[in-house]
Amino acid sequence: MLADDHQLMRSGLRLMIEQQPDLTVAAEANDGREVVALARSLKPDVVVMDIGMPNLNGIEAAHQITQSQPDIAVIMLSMHSDESYVLRALKAGAKGYLLKDSAEADLIKAVHAVAGGKSFFSPAVSKVLLDDYVRKLKRTGTEDAYDLLTPREREIFQLIAEGKSNKDVANLLNLSVYTVETHRANIMEKLRLRGIPELILYAVRKGIIS
Amino acid sequence: MIGRFQSCKICIVQKICFILYPVSPLLQKNTSRTLVPAEDPHSGEQFQKLRRILLIAFGGLLLLLILGGLDALLSVLKLSRIEQEVTRRFTAHSQALSAITVSVHVYDDQMEQYLLREQEPAHATREFDAINRSAEIHAALQQYPLDKEPDEQVLIKELERGLAEQENSFAVASSWSAEDRHQRAHRFIGEQLIPQRTHILQITQQISLLNGRKLGEKKEALAASFRSVQTRLQRMVGLALTAGILLSLVSGLYILRLERQGSERYQALVRSRQELEGLSARLVEVQEEERHSISRELHDEVGQTLGALLVDLGQLGKLVPPEDRVIQGQINRIKAVAENAVKSIRDMALLLRPPMLDDLGLIPALEWQAREVSRRSEMEVEVRSENVSEELPDEIKICIYRLVQEALNNAATHATARNAKVTVIRGMDKISVEVADDGHGFDPDRQRGMGILGMGERVKRLGGMLTIRSAGGTGSTVSAELPIQPAHSL
Repeated sequence: MLADDHQLMRSGLRLMIEQQPDLTVAAEANDGREVVALARSLKPDVVVMDIGMPNLNGIEAAHQITQSQPDIAVIMLSMHSDESYVLRALKAGAKGYLLKDSAEADLIKAVHAVAGGKSFFSPAVSKVLLDDYVRKLKRTGTEDAYDLLTPREREIFQLIAEGKSNKDVANLLNLSVYTVETHRANIMEKLRLRGIPELILYAVRKGIIS
Repeated sequence: MIGRFQSCKICIVQKICFILYPVSPLLQKNTSRTLVPAEDPHSGEQFQKLRRILLIAFGGLLLLLILGGLDALLSVLKLSRIEQEVTRRFTAHSQALSAITVSVHVYDDQMEQYLLREQEPAHATREFDAINRSAEIHAALQQYPLDKEPDEQVLIKELERGLAEQENSFAVASSWSAEDRHQRAHRFIGEQLIPQRTHILQITQQISLLNGRKLGEKKEALAASFRSVQTRLQRMVGLALTAGILLSLVSGLYILRLERQGSERYQALVRSRQELEGLSARLVEVQEEERHSISRELHDEVGQTLGALLVDLGQLGKLVPPEDRVIQGQINRIKAVAENAVKSIRDMALLLRPPMLDDLGLIPALEWQAREVSRRSEMEVEVRSENVSEELPDEIKICIYRLVQEALNNAATHATARNAKVTVIRGMDKISVEVADDGHGFDPDRQRGMGILGMGERVKRLGGMLTIRSAGGTGSTVSAELPIQPAHSL
């Protein structure tokens, strides 16, 4: 399903998607309220949605959709590569973050990725986030907290960032859920993160996921 | 699509022009209307006339008082001089009369002694005494000041006659022999000397009475002229008093009028000042609204159109076989141009009105702003916030955002700071913002650029207060407090 308040943009995106044999556009929405209502009735696999929309903006709409229907993967479409936007989108439950500039190149990749339960961020976003991060480290003279993580913690960090639950991680690594939880708490403490969205953002910034 | 883009561009250009020049026509139009109303040219003339009249009136009153006072003073002086003269004359008359009386008594006494004496004195001595006494009487009579009044003259003549009689009698008696004298002395004294003396004394009595009467008359006349002076003075005082009261009434009215005009002018000034403040607030508002609409226009219309164009170009690129290098190259060049346009449009829109404020809220927008400044300059910015919910009124958000934007730009460009810290704290009924940097600072009292003025204007409009603390070398701190409706849910 596509949601953008600009007809031109929507038709361009639709054209790209319909060229793919395994993808169809279930519906198009013009604003935030419409997309929430349509998502509820049509239950699409993926919603590609602009951040700046009238009535209800994309962030709020994404939040409402992922709250009521966690199965729907939301890709935010935005003109901005700034951390504020990415973090908000993640907090709203979006799985992917796509820049409009690179929509043409990355849209199909992104849709496939989120449909497969992974996250997707435009390469340009990762680059901006990383640049900001590195510059800040350099100027403030602080060490990269990521270096403080143990190899095991890094492994768990990556799995969590990819969207795996504690239980999944425990199964994959043959650990108890309790141990995974402890590791997870340590990682959050060391990297000074508050919540999963910030963890994902951190991972994107470090280029651990894309 | 191209036609539409062009029309968009024209409308944006028009709007940008309006942003750049919104102040002059509006301001001119309004100031000419709101300034103190121009004074009526006639009222100025009237005032001058009134002032002249008042001046003349006051001068007249003063002159009246001075003249009246002088007249009264002169009259009183004259009267007192006349009175002195009258008294002096009366005293002189009285003195002369008593001298005459005394001389007559002495003369008579001596004559009696002479006539009643037992022994013959030396002839010379007798003669001498008699002549001497007579001369004394005449001298006393000469001393008497004559007023040339008929009554008085008659009496004086009478007195002279009496004296002459007495002298004659004595001349007769003095020629007597001792025997004659012895025989006739007593009779002479009883029949001639005493009646003559009594007559003379009666005349002097009459003269004295006459003098007394004249004194009374003169005193009466003096009192009358004194009364007339008094009346004149009273009239003058009455006139001056009336004129004074009239004048003070007129001047009182004049002052009241001036006062009223002064207060009217003050009111007009206050009003025009308020209107100017309102106008400048409105300017800020209009500017913000215009920026918002242009930004949206740029972002929504131009940006989206170009975005769609890029998508279409991508599609086109896929349709053309990769071997066709010429067309592929052409498409890529068009794409690059479009991407450039997208980027500059986005930058313009961001500068005019960051969509983060609407999309994400105040703090993310400030964080974005902080990172933007960090990317562009050598300064690292940290944003810290407490209790700041996103349900803030739009004008507060804009105000804080613009304030931080201005302060950070100043710090990065003018003060060449390395670090800056933005703090936003929401209290019960206010929200406070602080931007502190470690640059080389400035003197906030002297260096007040348009930026600081603008900040002050924005903050003042929302009823807040802007404080700038800065000193050379120690960095600067820009802080503001804005009143806000108490939050229902913090």
